[in-house]
Amino acid sequence: MNRLERGQRKPASDPAEEDERPDLARLLAQVARGDHSAFEVVYAELAGPVYGVVRQVLRDPAQSEEVAQEALLEVWRTASRFDPAKGSAAAWTLTIAHRRAVDRVRSEVACSRREEQAARETAGGSGDVAEIVVATMDRQRVRRCLGGLTELQRESINLAYYGGYSYPQVAALLGVALGTVKTRIRDGLIRMRDCMEVDW
Amino acid sequence: MTTPRDELHVLTGSYAVHALEHREREAFERHLQGCDSCEAEVRAFRETAARLAMARSLQPPAGMEQRVLAATYRTRQLPPLLARERRARWRSGAGRRWAQMPRLAVAVAAASVVAALALGGMQVVTQHRLDAARASGTAIARILGASDARIETMTTTEGGTVSVVVSDRQRGAVVSTSGMTVLSAGRVYQLWVIDAAGARSAGLLPVAGQAGPVLASGVLPGDRIGITVEPSGGTSRPTTTPIVVIPA
Repeated sequence: MNRLERGQRKPASDPAEEDERPDLARLLAQVARGDHSAFEVVYAELAGPVYGVVRQVLRDPAQSEEVAQEALLEVWRTASRFDPAKGSAAAWTLTIAHRRAVDRVRSEVACSRREEQAARETAGGSGDVAEIVVATMDRQRVRRCLGGLTELQRESINLAYYGGYSYPQVAALLGVALGTVKTRIRDGLIRMRDCMEVDW
Repeated sequence: MTTPRDELHVLTGSYAVHALEHREREAFERHLQGCDSCEAEVRAFRETAARLAMARSLQPPAGMEQRVLAATYRTRQLPPLLARERRARWRSGAGRRWAQMPRLAVAVAAASVVAALALGGMQVVTQHRLDAARASGTAIARILGASDARIETMTTTEGGTVSVVVSDRQRGAVVSTSGMTVLSAGRVYQLWVIDAAGARSAGLLPVAGQAGPVLASGVLPGDRIGITVEPSGGTSRPTTTPIVVIPA
């Protein structure tokens, strides 16, 4: 995959163009062999979602940039461990990014405990930061599918994934039993998976 | 913590979105290794979560791409795991031990990656050594992989950060540093294990601003790890005030 092909790619907002997006799994195999130009294409595809999800969890722009950089460098460093049989390249990368963001939050919990009310208002909220938002076709679909969840499922997933809270913390924030949150997160993800036709 | 099997299965969702706390994640990861249906579900949930991330995509700050790309030129990549290595890890339990210690592993890796972004070339040596240590099952790897391992990180009075991974069971500590002031010629950083009887040298730290991991053996609960600046070659007992003292 080279710059030229990347330049020819049409905006991702057109669903019909999805097949023309770079084959990230193949690119990661190239990255594992030390191919910097392949990494540039991976970066171009995934830096937006990586930065976006890290920022969603951490909020602080400077820290988010730091963690996003670390995550992307981890992709470079550990590309040889990516196994296409076990999931997509995007999911592999975003799992790394989200886990790093959450690790950062948990390591800081002691010094800066975020206020519960603030969390309720912001986790899962959108548009509260004036940032250039990268348009993706996933956006509308995710919103629609989240809309199909029960309120408790949606709040549990918002707080756990976008908020970076552990499920016991989610339970405390929502004032429900631990077991309830565990099952709501799982049930919500099952519904999201089906609604978005995830085929893994 | 013991959790019944069916309760563990419900954790697939929380695990996939990193909502488990440490102990429960360990328990779940053990469960996952023998539960194909859980693994399939986690996989699908990770794909689902990736869509949630995509939906929050933001334009990264200007300059981030350059910094990341530049860092790739200074960062050695992990070799692939060969099939026989996977099996060996599995048999020896090394893979499992690491799986049980993700936070620590992440902390150590994260420290290295931060250093790569900040400091450049020396990182290659550090990460390489760490990987080599892991692979060869040395004392360092045993400490990093110990079930009771814990990490302490402190800044020194002279700047720089020192991280110590301690295992009481392995009676040892692994020390790594980053961002340390580069000393003038003729001076070195010396590592000490301090107990009630006094300080015992655990060797010199490499002179570069970033070093590790270095092994300190014979560390018992209640001991402390200290670093002093000493004349080159080191001394038999500390002659200056420690720039950092970390409880082991």
